[in-house]
Amino acid sequence: MRRFFQKHGWSYLFILPSMTTFIVFVFIPVVWAFIISFQKYSLRSGGRWMDPFYANYETAFTQFGGIFITAIQNTIVYSFFTVTANIFLGLILSSLIQPLSHRLRTFFRAAYYLPAVTSALIIGMTWSFIYNAQWGFANYILRLLGLPLVRWISDPDIALASVTASAILTIPATAVVLYSAAMGSIPTEYYEAAELDGANGIQKWWHITVPLIKSTTLYLVVLYSIASFEVFERIYIMVPSGVGNSTQTIVTQIYNNGFKDLNFGVGAAQAFVLFVMIATVAVFQFRFLQSDVEY
Amino acid sequence: MEKKQKFPLSGMWHILSVVVIASLLLAACATPTTEAPKPSEAPKPTTAPTAAPAATSAPAATVAPAATAAPAATVAPTNPPPPKREAKGGIRKSASGFKGTLNLWVLGYTPGNQFANPFDNAVAQFMLDNPDIKVEITGYPPNDEGFTKLNTALQSGQGIDLLRLPSDRLPGMVRDDLIEPIDAYLTADDKADIFPNVLDVTRLKDGKAYAWPLWVVPMGMYLNKDVFAEAKVDMPSKTWTYEQFVETAKKVTFKRANGEQVYGFAGFVDPGVVNTWALWMNEDVSVRPVTADRKFGFDNAATAAGMQRFADLALVHKVTPPDFGSMKDSDVKGGFTNKQIAMVVDATGFAPQLVAAKANFEIYPIPTYKGAKLTVGAVGLIAVAKVKDDVKRKAAMDLAKYLTSSEVQADVPPGSNVATGFYLAPGARKSVKVNPPLDQFLGVLPDMWITPLIVDWAPLTRLIHPEFQNVIFGKVKAADAMKKITPEANKLISNK
Repeated sequence: MRRFFQKHGWSYLFILPSMTTFIVFVFIPVVWAFIISFQKYSLRSGGRWMDPFYANYETAFTQFGGIFITAIQNTIVYSFFTVTANIFLGLILSSLIQPLSHRLRTFFRAAYYLPAVTSALIIGMTWSFIYNAQWGFANYILRLLGLPLVRWISDPDIALASVTASAILTIPATAVVLYSAAMGSIPTEYYEAAELDGANGIQKWWHITVPLIKSTTLYLVVLYSIASFEVFERIYIMVPSGVGNSTQTIVTQIYNNGFKDLNFGVGAAQAFVLFVMIATVAVFQFRFLQSDVEY
Repeated sequence: MEKKQKFPLSGMWHILSVVVIASLLLAACATPTTEAPKPSEAPKPTTAPTAAPAATSAPAATVAPAATAAPAATVAPTNPPPPKREAKGGIRKSASGFKGTLNLWVLGYTPGNQFANPFDNAVAQFMLDNPDIKVEITGYPPNDEGFTKLNTALQSGQGIDLLRLPSDRLPGMVRDDLIEPIDAYLTADDKADIFPNVLDVTRLKDGKAYAWPLWVVPMGMYLNKDVFAEAKVDMPSKTWTYEQFVETAKKVTFKRANGEQVYGFAGFVDPGVVNTWALWMNEDVSVRPVTADRKFGFDNAATAAGMQRFADLALVHKVTPPDFGSMKDSDVKGGFTNKQIAMVVDATGFAPQLVAAKANFEIYPIPTYKGAKLTVGAVGLIAVAKVKDDVKRKAAMDLAKYLTSSEVQADVPPGSNVATGFYLAPGARKSVKVNPPLDQFLGVLPDMWITPLIVDWAPLTRLIHPEFQNVIFGKVKAADAMKKITPEANKLISNK
């Protein structure tokens, strides 16, 4: 034991602060939330076990006419389109800036990273302004083109699509930077060899670049999937009063139950459903996207 | 052979890149002209649904006038400074002996706005009379998000001693044992002065009164006289019917020479408010969310007809802005103030803001339908949160009593930095006089319906709201929408 601490003590001491932070602010709250999901919980009087024990989960799926099912559907649709578009957009943009000189590449990486450092509040408010049916920029363009006005975030049929489009058109900063870095690490010999074999630009990109950055793609797919499943602030800011139930997502439902109705048990149950969904998606993504590519 | 990497930017290029990026950051961070989002700021000037259970001739309980957030591009109010103050004693002086801080939460409060100034003035006077007591004010917006913030603070028991709230939020808080009863602090003079049916609004568990009635807030129709003049349309009669209202709205829906569209009518539709409800509830007396036998009352033909009639303002008559049904409150108020909307339905709290902005407006009653007069409203209340410290509780009660008295009206008169004085709606006491233009609401008080006192009023409105929106959007028929939510609504109404 003494030898163990002599050999590894300092290592554990250095990771102690982050581990403590993780345990106190992540692990314990997650476990506590799981426990609360089986209780009727009040801030003032604590928790009472539900009878039957799964009652909160049942309520989560049946309350308000099954709005949670709608929220799950909306979330899946939103995630599918934003993840796909963000990966594709990130890949295209980073491929376009890769051949540039180092200085220009650095400039564009910094420029494309701006959305990541801009407050989500500002982005949401800006898109609210763009989408305003009466005086928004989008309808201003439509008016100039002689096209009819669109109720971007007040038509239940297209509100979710509008919110999704706003997410897609907010440049995927992380994807651009990570892809750009990954592309920079691909040895140039592969491209030279491909050129000798008569490959054109597209062929080189498809057969060399894309496979060799697959691990980055996997990372980004998982990252963006988690982020898109947890979409909240964009909806909360752009459509605060809702648009029928067409913009309800899983996290807005968690928020409504947990903070508006103070129904922490049901909110926690919904949060655990979200956790299971994200974990399932991540496992699938690792299973099907993970592979080593070597040349 | 490996290609040699070029080294990073030289000094000059580095500086240039930083300058360009900084410029882009500043441009990106420019806030849009729309209202700040709900969560933390932008007090909305809407009043919560009104309370007042008994439909007596006394003013019905309505939602406290919401402090409206300053709409975009309004004229900056040019109020004179507050009057010079000195300690005056009387009910302003707390006999509690408390020394410390009282945390007062105020609906719609944002420092400097027309809704905040009354309370800032009143609190300043109270602190002058009680040098050992400091009062800190926290604002919360009058919408669903604001009530969420309030509930969370109450549940946590931290940082909130007394609160201004609308009456329909009180039952849930009393059920959760978050509010102190006031009976022990009501004097005989108070009981004689407060309108009895208004005080009855606050009697919940065990028949105890759980809040100090502050004012009664009905909804009214605001008409922008400048828009009417521009459209060359005469102001309608104040005994107008719904049909006349629709015709008027059509006449004042027009396009300006510069292409800007002006709309005849708008109102804020949100789960936290019932601003627009009177315009369709006047279909029939049976159109009420809760029946006498505690069932969901909107599942009937009259409600369907009324709701559809209201939705037709957008779907058939096209007198509403394209986002009507999901507009932000700031856009409704801003549109009215900026002469883009001719008529809006709102509570009394909008009036002081318009006065401060020197808007040319008039307040009308809600148009009648088949002879039926109706407005909706609530009672604004000041409640004291559960406080363990007896001395602190007494101090909080003293402050609440002062804030709901006629003395506070004398201390915060109109003409100071408060356009209409302290009271932003007809007071709940006989001794409180109403200042113009709020006196224009007095006539509608006898016809005011107050939102029912049920503990799950908030979830019930959240259940009704998306269906109501879908009716306005034309996605569903009103009858089908209300039928769909009836089982869940009955469950919520029966919760105790």
